Amino acid sequence: MTSSYAEAPRERGLRAAVRRTRGLRSGRGLPFVLPYLPFLIAFGLAPMIYAVKLAFTNDEGSWTGLHNFTRTVDDYRFGPAFKHIFVYTGVWLGALVVFVVVLALLLHGRANRVSTSFRFLFYIPGALAGAASVLVWLFMLDPSVSPGAFLLHHVLGANLFVESIAPGHLPFIFAMIAFWTGAGGWIVVMYGALNTIPPDLEEAARIDGAGPIAIALRLKLPLIRKWIAYMVILSFATGTQLFVEPQIVNQASLGLVPDTWSANQLAYQKAFRYADFNAAAAIAVDLLVIGLFAAVLIVTRTGLFRTED
Amino acid sequence: MRGFEGSAAVRSRWRRPSWTILTSLAVIAIAVTVSACGGSSDSGSTSSQAATASKSSSAKSGPASGDLTVWVDSVRLPVAKAYAKAHPNVHLKIVTFDGDANGATTLQTKIQLWNRSGKGWPDIIFSEQVNDPVWMAKKPFEYAAPVKGLVPDNALSQWPAPSTAQCTIDGTQYCVQDNLAQVVLWVNQKLMHRFGYDVPTTWQEWAALGQKVATEHPGYIIGNSGDSFSHWVYLWSGQCPLQQLKSDKVVINSTDGHCTRMASLLDPLIKNGTVPPLSVFTPDFAKKYGGAKDKVLLMPGPSWYATALFHDTLHIPAGQITAAMPLKWESETPVTTGQVGGGPWIISRHSKNLNAAGDFVTWATTVFNDNRPGYPAYAPLADRWLQGLADDSYFAADPTPALKGAANLIWKGWNLVTYPDQPVWSNTVVTKLVAGKPLSSLLQPLGDGLAHAAEAAGYQVDRQ
Repeated sequence: MTSSYAEAPRERGLRAAVRRTRGLRSGRGLPFVLPYLPFLIAFGLAPMIYAVKLAFTNDEGSWTGLHNFTRTVDDYRFGPAFKHIFVYTGVWLGALVVFVVVLALLLHGRANRVSTSFRFLFYIPGALAGAASVLVWLFMLDPSVSPGAFLLHHVLGANLFVESIAPGHLPFIFAMIAFWTGAGGWIVVMYGALNTIPPDLEEAARIDGAGPIAIALRLKLPLIRKWIAYMVILSFATGTQLFVEPQIVNQASLGLVPDTWSANQLAYQKAFRYADFNAAAAIAVDLLVIGLFAAVLIVTRTGLFRTED
Repeated sequence: MRGFEGSAAVRSRWRRPSWTILTSLAVIAIAVTVSACGGSSDSGSTSSQAATASKSSSAKSGPASGDLTVWVDSVRLPVAKAYAKAHPNVHLKIVTFDGDANGATTLQTKIQLWNRSGKGWPDIIFSEQVNDPVWMAKKPFEYAAPVKGLVPDNALSQWPAPSTAQCTIDGTQYCVQDNLAQVVLWVNQKLMHRFGYDVPTTWQEWAALGQKVATEHPGYIIGNSGDSFSHWVYLWSGQCPLQQLKSDKVVINSTDGHCTRMASLLDPLIKNGTVPPLSVFTPDFAKKYGGAKDKVLLMPGPSWYATALFHDTLHIPAGQITAAMPLKWESETPVTTGQVGGGPWIISRHSKNLNAAGDFVTWATTVFNDNRPGYPAYAPLADRWLQGLADDSYFAADPTPALKGAANLIWKGWNLVTYPDQPVWSNTVVTKLVAGKPLSSLLQPLGDGLAHAAEAAGYQVDRQ
């Protein structure tokens, strides 16, 4: 992300050559994608097309244009829900990128044994499935039982569970839960990415007089740029689609946290409480568009799919 | 357990509103699924006695049999189990769920799903949410079956008129209330004696006592304001018009004099710590005020607090608690009180076994009396239940006169609507009370929130 790469004009010729061989390659790749294809269609594309269809029609199936979109935007819960998920995604993504990359780089610089045990430590929380990890956090956030009670008291000013989950704290708390459960897996992935860097490159840099910090920032970081972009795309979609954390905290707090805290929850409520599947689909399509937009932006900015470099 | 590098993919799948999510949530919601079938050999005297009584009081078309699925909250689990024991011919499947407590919308989402899939409806549902039958009787849910013909007429006529009214939607009765949930003033007689205080009879005396307690015995409380239903205790009692149905409109006037005067009365007490904005069902509350600490001096609350809260949750020792009549506003008459719960039994119109379903509901509401948690709505059973309570050594004095006296005082100006109002109270008021804002400043947002919820549920709103 700090890297700036000037493209030499001759690379354009190279790229044309790559394009020529691509037709051949995609044929060869097909058997590898084939097992995944039915699942992609059944659980990815088909529901997406169905959602798009629902979003532009009413419950009788006739075309309504953007009506479902405008009326969901006008819903009094729409604004707050989207505001919540954007604050949350911002906080979480920022923390994720910075900490995951820094920790992975630090791990990679360590002696092997130390780094193995740390990798394991980082990964452990991720072994808990989504909902279970939130349940763990319900205890972590309750000052009367939490091992981090002094932190809750000094950082959040909370002496009671209801104070821990005050509305202003929620985006940060959910970000903390998501980071704790998800970051470990990504650190391991980044570590794997760092291992693909040929050791002679590192050695050459060292001979040229680069210290560990220079190697990390000027050599390793640019080389795992695509991995970071990949993480950001997936995590952005995950972040804006937040559901499990607020849903469980809603139940655990006896309703203090609204059941439409996130956009995804609002869609869920629209569908299953108000039987308004068209409105729910419209919100789902909003989320899809946001996710796609972010993905396109990141892909074009980082050259994620460029194969020649 | 997640795969090695697939962790992100798995995680993102978690967040999508896919069927995986829905089923996982169902698993969370349905905490326990108990399949209680057949009778055991040690059926106690109560059960067999109950079974005979059931036969005499219930349906015309022979003893109940066949398959029956019932959804209950954890509090109603014993009655379902007892029914299964007393009726070996009925193959009962019991599912416990959150009971829609605190304004959750579990049932709405589940019934939506069953309606869409065209199967899966349980025969009977118990809901903690007294307003649930209102939407269950209407489109698009249309789950509830009229109870007439399923519960015998001579039994139906024994429910108090206000209770029947709460179950009657557009002229048809769709449910029977399990219990009445009238608000009374719970009193810790032992503490009151020790401190030399008199039991207040008006809200003003109660508030004055709160000021006194704050200075003389700080740490003790005379109520609480942090439950999802605290507005039913204070604002319903105080005749604050937050949901009045007038023809097709909901009248919401959260800044009516009845609301503001109660808010001004409560504010100093919330501030001085004698009416903390905490829920009685949180571990924090039990830790600060329950058990050995024993710091609940007074507590306006529903009839079912008797054992469910004081004994089972807060573990307050025997010989301390009793009930007093609901507080009145100065010398205003008639005295009115609030209601917290009064959960209904609803029979499914999709049921294949309506005969057994009717028998179950009749038995649960008119016969079952063994460790019953709440004041029975069915009047003849209420007398027997109250007798049991009067003889119960747990109470410092007989709480039954107050409970019986309050049963008919529930203010009728609070109508049941299709949307739950508790989440609005919790989100807009309780969270702010916790943050130190006065209740008086939150009445306007409360009204706005309720108006939003009403409009989203399809009501026309009349804000005054």
